[in-house]
Amino acid sequence: MSELRQIAAVSLIGIGSLRERYGTALVIVVGMACVVGVLTSMLSLTAGLTRAYLRPEDATRAVVWGGHATFDQSRSLHPDAVATILDAPGIARGPDGEPLADAEFLMRLLSMEGFAAGSLQLRGVGPAGLALRPAFRIVAGHMFRSGSRELLVGVGAAHRFGLGVGSQVRLRDGEWPIAGIFSCGGDIIESYLVGDALTVMAARRRAGFAQVVAQLTDPSAFPQFQEWLLENPALTVAVERKTDYDLRTAGKDTAFFTRMTFVIGAIMALGALFGIIKIMYGTVRARTREIGTLRAIGFGPLPVALSVLVEAALLGALGALLGTAIAWAIFDGREMWVGGAFRLRVAPFLWVLGLLWALGTSLLGGLMPALRAARLPASEALRAG
Amino acid sequence: MRGPARILILGTYQRSEGIATKFLPLVWAALWRNRTESVLTLLAVTVAFALFGTMLTLNAAYERAIEDARMDRLIVACAFDCGVIPMGFREQLARVPHVTGVGGEMWIGGRDKDGRLAIMVMLVDEGMRAAWPELPLSAADWRALDASPAGIFLTRTAAARRNLHIGDTVPVDDGKGSTADGAGVYYFTVLGFIAAPPSWEAGSVGPLGVPETIVGNLRYQQHWGRPDEQNIVNVMRLAVDRPEYARAVCRDIEARFTNATPALYCVSARDDAEETAEANINMRQISLGIGAGGLFMILFLSANGLAESVRERLPEFGILKAMGYGDGRIAMLVMLEAALPTLLAALIGSALAWAVEAFVAHLAAKGLINMPGIHASVAAFAWALAAALLIALLSALAPLYRLRHTDVAAVVAGR
Repeated sequence: MSELRQIAAVSLIGIGSLRERYGTALVIVVGMACVVGVLTSMLSLTAGLTRAYLRPEDATRAVVWGGHATFDQSRSLHPDAVATILDAPGIARGPDGEPLADAEFLMRLLSMEGFAAGSLQLRGVGPAGLALRPAFRIVAGHMFRSGSRELLVGVGAAHRFGLGVGSQVRLRDGEWPIAGIFSCGGDIIESYLVGDALTVMAARRRAGFAQVVAQLTDPSAFPQFQEWLLENPALTVAVERKTDYDLRTAGKDTAFFTRMTFVIGAIMALGALFGIIKIMYGTVRARTREIGTLRAIGFGPLPVALSVLVEAALLGALGALLGTAIAWAIFDGREMWVGGAFRLRVAPFLWVLGLLWALGTSLLGGLMPALRAARLPASEALRAG
Repeated sequence: MRGPARILILGTYQRSEGIATKFLPLVWAALWRNRTESVLTLLAVTVAFALFGTMLTLNAAYERAIEDARMDRLIVACAFDCGVIPMGFREQLARVPHVTGVGGEMWIGGRDKDGRLAIMVMLVDEGMRAAWPELPLSAADWRALDASPAGIFLTRTAAARRNLHIGDTVPVDDGKGSTADGAGVYYFTVLGFIAAPPSWEAGSVGPLGVPETIVGNLRYQQHWGRPDEQNIVNVMRLAVDRPEYARAVCRDIEARFTNATPALYCVSARDDAEETAEANINMRQISLGIGAGGLFMILFLSANGLAESVRERLPEFGILKAMGYGDGRIAMLVMLEAALPTLLAALIGSALAWAVEAFVAHLAAKGLINMPGIHASVAAFAWALAAALLIALLSALAPLYRLRHTDVAAVVAGR
C-alpha cells in the first residue's frame, strides 16, 4: 500500500472513531470556535469601518486640502484656491464639460436634544459632490434646494440621533429643517448631515472650504495632478489619493485596535494550543492499541503521525467555521457608531483568516502528539490498555 | 478566648485538617495521575485567566478615565470649525450664573530640539487655579510659573523620553511665522516635574489625544506669539458650583454665545470623556466579552478533563463509597479536584495579567500606544477567583451526576 493510501486509510479510521470520542473532539471544536469567533468578531469592526471610508470609486480620486500634510481639514481652502485647484490637469470632466471635482467643508454642530456637542457633523457639498457619489439616493422627503435653508440627514445619523424629515437642526443663524433622508451605499457620509455648501457657508459666515475631492481621468493621472498642485506658487496644499486618504483616516481609528485584536487572538490561540496538545495526547493514548495494530500490519510511522495531524486540523477547521459562522450570525451587518455609522462586516477574507489561524494552531498543537504516535513501538502499543 | 468561639475555631481547624489529611492526597494523586495532561490543562487555563485579568483591568482603566473626569468642570470651545476663542470672552463667561472660575488654555505644538519627537505644551493662565484645581500644580509651582513665564512643568515620563532635567531649555518649533519674531520657535525652561491630571494619564481623554502632560504659562504665548494670535485661546475651562448644574450652565453659555464670533459650545469634562470614549474604537466596549470568551474556551477543556478523570477512576470512587464516603464527601473530593487547578491557574494567570498590564502601561507611558493609565486591580483578582470557582463548579456538574447514579457494587466488581 502506498504511503498516500496509508495516510488516507489511517486518517479515515481516526476520523471514523471520532464518534466514540465526541466529547474530546468537541473541546477542540469549541475552543477553536471561541478563538476564531473573537478574532473575526473584532476584525469585523475594522473591516466594516474601512469599507465605510473606502469606496471602490475612490481608486481614481484625489483629495486636496489646505496647509500641510498632517493637518487635514484644519486649515481652510479659500475659494480662489479652489478655483485654481479645479484648473489642475488630470481632472475628469462631466457631461456639461465642468470639472468633476467638489469643494466641501465639514463642521461640527452645537449640541441639542438628542445629541451631544460635536458628535454630529455637517458636510457641505456642491452639485459635483452628488455626481461623485453615484450611490447617493433620497429615501425619504426631498433633496435640499440650493439657496434654501434645508439639510439632508444620512440614514446612519438619522437612526443614531433620531432625526427625520421635519426635524430642526440649530446652526449659527437659527433652526434649519431637515428636508430629506439619504443613503449612499454604506459610505461614511451617511453619518452626516449634508447641505448645499454655499448656502450653509453663508450661514456660518466663513468662506473657507475644508477639501476638494477630484475625480481623475484615470489613476495614472495622479502624479501629474499632484505635481502641478504642489509646485503651484499660488497654492499651499496637500494632495493625496483618495484611497490613501481613506485608509489613513480609517487606519487612524483602527490601527491600535487591529494590533490589539491580533495580540488577543494570539493569546487565545496559545491557550487553545495547550488544550489541543492535551486533547491530542489523550487521543493518542486512547488509540494506542489501534495504532499498535496498524503498525503491526505494516503501516508506517508517517501515516500514523499524519493521521493525528489531519484529525487536529479537521477539528480546528470545524471550530474555525463554527466560530466565524457565529460571528457572522451575530455581528455581520449590525450597525455601529464609532465617530460615524458603519456596519460590522465579517468579510470573506475573515473566513479565510479564521481558517488559517485555526489550522496553524491545530497543526502546531497536533505536532507533539503526532510524533509520540509515530514513535510508539508496535509491540508495546499492542500490550497497552 | 471564650468557650463557643474556641470550639468553633478548633472545630473548623480540625475539619480543615481532616480535609487536608484525607482529601488532598487523593486529589493530588488524581491530578498527578497523568502529569503531562494536567500540566497542559493548567497552562491552557492559566492563559485564559491571564487574558481575563488583562481584559478586566483594561476595562477598569477606561472606566476610571471617565469617572475621574468631573461633571462640575466644563470645557468651552468654538462651536464651528474648532478654531480659537478670544480671551475677551472670559469676563462674560465668568458672569454666567453658577460659574465659579474661568481659565484659558492654549496648545503650542511642534518638534523638539532634534526634531525627533512631537511635543505639545499646554499653556494655562492663573484662572485655572479656580477653574481646574485638579491640574497638579502646587502654589509654589504657580509662583514659579509666574516668575518665569517661559517655564514648563512636565511629567517625569515626558522628561525621561527627552532626557530633560530641571533647568534645561526646550526649544519648540511651532512653524515659521507663529512667533512675534517670525522664527516660530518657543524656548521653554524646565522648572520641575508634576503628575498627570486625573483621567489624563497617557492622554486618553485629553484634548487632541496628546500622550503626555507638559504645562506652561499662557502669558509666554500672549507676549511671544504672533501678534494676531496673542489674545486667543483654544479652549476655556470653567468650574461650576454644583455638578448637577453643569448641563444647564452649558446650555446657557451656548445660548448666550450663539450669535457671537465665534459661537461657543460647552460640554462637561465628564460628558466629554464619555463622548471621546464612545467616538473612538477602544477595548472598553468589548473587553469583558473577550474575557468571557476566553473562559468559555477553557470551560470545556476543564470539564472534559474532569469527566475523563472521573470515568477512569470509577472503581476508586466505588471503593470510597463502599468504605462509607457519602455523596457529600465524594462531591467535595471532585470539587477539590476541579477547583485546585482552576484556582491555581487563576492565581498564576492574574500574576501574568499584571505583567502584561505593566508592559501595556510601559508602552502607554512611552507614548507608543494611547491608553488610559493602567493599575493592577484587586477587583480583577477577586473576579478571577470567583470565575475559577464557577468554572470548577460547572466542570464538576456532569461527573457528580454520574457518580451519584453509579452502582457501587457494579463498579467495584468491575462490571
